[in-house]
Amino acid sequence: MPPRLSLGAHRAVSRAQTVRARLYVRRFASGSAASPETYDVVCVGGGPAGLSLLTGLRASKITSSLKVALVEGQDLQKNRLPHDASLDTFSNRCSSLTPASVKNLQDIGAWSHANTARIQPYQEMQVWDGISDARISFDWDSIHTPLTLRKPTQPTTIAYMIENVNTTTTLLSRLSELGGVDIFSPTKVESINLGTDTPSLDLSSWPILTLSNGKTLAARLLVGADGANSPVRTFAGIHSRGFDYNRHGIVATVRLGGPGRGGPNHKIAYQRFLPTGPIAMLPLPGNLASLVWSITPQLAARLKSLSPNDFSAMVNAGFRLSATDLDYLHTLEAGQAEEVAWREKHTPVDERSIPMKVVDVQEGTTASFPLKMRHADTYIGERVALVGDAAHTIHPLAGQGLNQGQGDAASLTRVIERAVQTGQDIGSLLALEAYNAERYAENNAMLGVCDKLHRLYSVESGPLVGLRSLGLRAVDAMGPLKGFFMGRAAGGV
Amino acid sequence: MAFRHPSRALRTLHHLSAQPPYRPISISRTPRIPQVSLKTPQRFPSMRSSHDSSKSSVDPTEVSHFNALASSWWDPYGPSRLLHLMNPLRHTFISRCLETTPPLSSSLPKKLRYLDIGCGGGIFAESAARLSRTESVTAIDPTPEVLKVAEGHKRRDPVLVQPGKLTYLNKGIEQLEQPKSEAEQYDIVTLFEVLEHVNAPAPFLEQILPHVKPGGWLVLSTIARTWTSWAVTNVLAEDVLGIVPKGTHEWRKYVNEGELREWFGKKGGWGSNGGMRTMGVVYVPGFGWKEVSGGEGWGNYFWGVRRDG
Repeated sequence: MPPRLSLGAHRAVSRAQTVRARLYVRRFASGSAASPETYDVVCVGGGPAGLSLLTGLRASKITSSLKVALVEGQDLQKNRLPHDASLDTFSNRCSSLTPASVKNLQDIGAWSHANTARIQPYQEMQVWDGISDARISFDWDSIHTPLTLRKPTQPTTIAYMIENVNTTTTLLSRLSELGGVDIFSPTKVESINLGTDTPSLDLSSWPILTLSNGKTLAARLLVGADGANSPVRTFAGIHSRGFDYNRHGIVATVRLGGPGRGGPNHKIAYQRFLPTGPIAMLPLPGNLASLVWSITPQLAARLKSLSPNDFSAMVNAGFRLSATDLDYLHTLEAGQAEEVAWREKHTPVDERSIPMKVVDVQEGTTASFPLKMRHADTYIGERVALVGDAAHTIHPLAGQGLNQGQGDAASLTRVIERAVQTGQDIGSLLALEAYNAERYAENNAMLGVCDKLHRLYSVESGPLVGLRSLGLRAVDAMGPLKGFFMGRAAGGV
Repeated sequence: MAFRHPSRALRTLHHLSAQPPYRPISISRTPRIPQVSLKTPQRFPSMRSSHDSSKSSVDPTEVSHFNALASSWWDPYGPSRLLHLMNPLRHTFISRCLETTPPLSSSLPKKLRYLDIGCGGGIFAESAARLSRTESVTAIDPTPEVLKVAEGHKRRDPVLVQPGKLTYLNKGIEQLEQPKSEAEQYDIVTLFEVLEHVNAPAPFLEQILPHVKPGGWLVLSTIARTWTSWAVTNVLAEDVLGIVPKGTHEWRKYVNEGELREWFGKKGGWGSNGGMRTMGVVYVPGFGWKEVSGGEGWGNYFWGVRRDG
């Protein structure tokens, strides 16, 4: 069987390395190389989704006998969050973990390993239209009516703000407690090919991975947790379709004037839909907050080039000033701070319904990334399953990307459990099709909703503005419907 | 016999008038009137009749039939899909037999030995061999072509090629050597979707019984011989939906759950202390196989009986 794909060429490696990888493949294909080490599950990618899958497999009594490996190009140990990390600085890569994701992390025994001082639960969400100011607020107290009293056991937390490095460190701690995973890190996958058919064994349907350390692994099930440009997905010949939003997401860790209007025990997340894209301020411990601002690439480049003082002023303006004012401010090369201060005096705002003012930006945390919508045609192939960003990339406006990956990992763990219990080959399409059935439609719905929201709020004038405002106000007035939306946001509680 | 995509998953009644002389199916001694009027004259002799010698429990036409099926056996979206989908339920049922039946004095060992009769392409045999509680699986089938498929597919899994784990034999049960000691008997003997293909069920079962270890189980799945199974498979599955390949089954060969209970009850030495178990199942398009309480009365069902000891 000829090699299907040389990943050496796919990666940004030197030409010499590429040639070496190809030569090695040829040698392997001719059958003269040492036979590969056989694994039940090889997971490529040690991000939150891949680690959650492996932890789930190791934590389950049913699947703990599987032989599993993790291949990660980065150094997992070096990238761990130190125990004594200062609470004055936070990573700019944060996610809003839903209660459903947290429950899964509890189920696999990982949550107790989390650095809780660096996790910020929030109890309220304020979302409003930047053009019409129509507003919807979410908190568990507002959704019950006299007929549907809030149960005492009902959670008050909408979601948990957590640095991605905290999530991965949490999972790595649990994984090392469980043991039994062969971790290859930092190790790159140089190529993936199908195995060979010998008289004793027919591995022609098995992916064989050649690693940068020279090892070869044969995978009964190869899991692609290797991100949006997933080499595993490419190997499997699965197309990923979608488009670029022509928007960049600016992220930064910012310091606010105080802990928030609800105090340290009632934290609020804010999101304002501007015609250029949503701007969101998500609470972190203390006076810190995580900014996510979706905006056109040109404006993103300019914002990133501003002085911290001007950048802070622009963020404050993003929550306070009109779209027209913002359009003007975006044209300035510098001096936004003074300009914003002057305009704020003439723009009345209800300070109780917007985030506290940004007073400082944590050095080195301002960054941006292009926003995309991508969805793989399927999450499974013969001996291949995709999880997380390898399967789908979503607009960040609902903060669902990481949660979808956690949902994928939990679902795939359950599907593998069922397959093991009934003696199925866990790499077979028959065993895996339940995973695709369970996750594809759900993720597709979430991708669609977030995409539609983005499009809806990109409109600056006309009847759509009126309609969407009417819709937002109507939902806000109806407790049960809001409860439904909040339940969905919380991960289907 | 003309057929397009033979499959064992569901059964069809076809070309009745073109069939060779009638073959017995009733497992009880009492003749019964079938619920569906058939074109050919009906007669329900005892399954102990000398109609077929025990040396050819399986009809040669059935053998050639499954030869034609061989190439697509492991295609998950091919004609054997319904069988593939049913396979996990087999394990569910066996686990239930083993774990929720009141125990006998002799208990089964930690690691189990399986004998799978009529293994076909190895769907069940492979899965049984992968289970952590399995010592070994011996799987037999009289059809050479499907056995080749089974052997070929087995080579795709390093676990299955371990010596002694999974052994295929191109044999009918009558060619399998009778066990001389308990060590040669099996803890679990399985007979999935086979009974309905057998000409004379009683002599066939008699051949199998000595292979079951005391305390071990004979587990089978088959189809009840009722008007619903006739209507569903013949009219709906074949003519309306077209999901059932022609020529796989003959409704008249079906055996009812009550007939099995009666036969084993009279036999003695089997099924005491709750050691007869039933699970009715039905295929729901779009959802797969579902357990249905009482389903054994009108369609596909699993049945297990424990050997006393």
